[in-house]
Amino acid sequence: MSTKQSTHRYVVDSFKTALGVGENTLETSLAERVVFYVALGLTLLVTLFPFYYMALASLLPESSLYTLPPTLLPQDLTLEHYRIVFGPETFPFLTYFKNSFVIATTTAGASVLVATFGAYSFSRLDYRGRGIISRGVLMVYMFSGILLVVPMFQVIVWLGFVDSLASLFITYLVQTLPVSLYMLGNYFRSIPEEIEEAAIMDGYSRLEVIWKITLPLSAPAIVAVFFFTFMIAWNEYLFASIFLQSQGVYTLPIGIEALASSFRQVWGQIMAASLLTSIPLIVMFTYLEKFMVEGLTFGAVEG
Amino acid sequence: MATLTRSGDRTIEEKEALLGYALIAPALLLIGAVILYPVLYNVYLSFTVVPLSPDQSPEWIGLGHYYSLFESSQFWSALRTTIVFTFFSTTLATLGGLGTALLFNRSFRGRRYLRGMVLLPYVAPLISVAFVWRFMLDPLYGIFPYIGSDLLGLYSGNIDLLSNGDTAIWTVILIDAWRYFPFAFLMLIARVQAIPGDMYEAAKIDGASKFAQFKDITLPELKYILATVFLLRWIWNFNKFADIWLLTRRVDTLPIYAYKVAFANYQHGQAAAISMVLFLALIVFVLAYVAWALDW
Repeated sequence: MSTKQSTHRYVVDSFKTALGVGENTLETSLAERVVFYVALGLTLLVTLFPFYYMALASLLPESSLYTLPPTLLPQDLTLEHYRIVFGPETFPFLTYFKNSFVIATTTAGASVLVATFGAYSFSRLDYRGRGIISRGVLMVYMFSGILLVVPMFQVIVWLGFVDSLASLFITYLVQTLPVSLYMLGNYFRSIPEEIEEAAIMDGYSRLEVIWKITLPLSAPAIVAVFFFTFMIAWNEYLFASIFLQSQGVYTLPIGIEALASSFRQVWGQIMAASLLTSIPLIVMFTYLEKFMVEGLTFGAVEG
Repeated sequence: MATLTRSGDRTIEEKEALLGYALIAPALLLIGAVILYPVLYNVYLSFTVVPLSPDQSPEWIGLGHYYSLFESSQFWSALRTTIVFTFFSTTLATLGGLGTALLFNRSFRGRRYLRGMVLLPYVAPLISVAFVWRFMLDPLYGIFPYIGSDLLGLYSGNIDLLSNGDTAIWTVILIDAWRYFPFAFLMLIARVQAIPGDMYEAAKIDGASKFAQFKDITLPELKYILATVFLLRWIWNFNKFADIWLLTRRVDTLPIYAYKVAFANYQHGQAAAISMVLFLALIVFVLAYVAWALDW
């Protein structure tokens, strides 16, 4: 860029600063702004409408759920569907919720723990075979659940773990490990090595360095990995659908699916259960959004 | 460095290596036991007939399952469905993500909050998302059939878009793109915002149109991240099971075909062969794609 152009830009910029106007307000025409806001509005409509509809349907009384034209702006709302979801008569929603919560929390905790040490190992320490290990982690991305489901079924039957949450814990832990290792490994590499070297010069051992320096610095990544592994376990359907047989151990995806296939016209309750199932993820995401977005850029999470 | 060794007969390098092995060991053991072993076992099973009773051992039949697979029209149709589904859902999600990333590349009030909201389809649980779409598409009371056929007259209202053989796959593709475009958006937005504003300023001074700026600056800058997003989505969509299965039973991709063969017909050996073909097809695609994308 020539000096003349950058001088020109400097002058414009200082005017903008002086007048307190942003770049876009100064340079975009009204037509462009209209197009922009219409496009933004449409994007949000397409993205959010299903969630609005889920919430709405969970609150509509039966009489307005099954009418034409469908209700978009509610006249009267009811908590009846939520009462049924929490009551014991139709299906044990709270049991499903508890099972999902236990399995997702333990999976995520164990995955983060194992992956923290593993990722530190191949991103920082030097040994033979390290390159193969860190590339191998990426290869596992291509092993789908469907490739593992037949042999895993055989193994789980052989171990006698069918119909237990233990079968899911093992499966989910290992399925989330590659993602966790990959994300944490990428994050650890982004921490300047000099910080750790300085600590070692000061007499810290490697383990002390990991514990006192690397882990605190990696808190955002660890939080993100916990969330994503929690999300994977919370959503898992394939293995749960073949390992779990009795209602007492069902997780939410299996439980809600069973409700939908055994009763007709229970959309109100399904929508209430769906919304309640979304809440843990949405709450976690809202509080941790900054870390999540950062975390995703360190490793793509399967979905 | 050896002079720094404090204890025993090992050098610092050796101790670091030992620690390295110790720290990675749990992860390797788990992945080995629960991924690599099953994958190899799956290869073996694909050459056998697996008896229903777990006490009996599988019976070796060599390439039998593969022969019958390649002769079955169901298999070829499932492969075609998989490719159609993967190609269109991946392309749509990537383009949707790109469009949204460009839209969010200018500053406006509330951008941070709206960015969080756009991620909602990707963050919300699959089961909830699948069921709200099923409700919205319900042929009797759904809002989409009402708008599409009663209000706009686009199609006859008796068609259940999710269960009709002709429309199910396209409906599933659209829902999949809706659910996963935020992933592409998130991966792209960081890169979009990192493009230096100077480049556009210079282009504007040279009189380049918006479209020319997009084609000559934005696209080349995003090339690799776009290629990566497309590849990752391709891998995941190719293997996709639950998203499709929870929406409809009328779209038979290879993962769904394998699941039905394994757990509805109890032909585990045959299903193992299907998943092997799925895996090999994916590997071939990924290798070809990487070779092509690298000198793109």
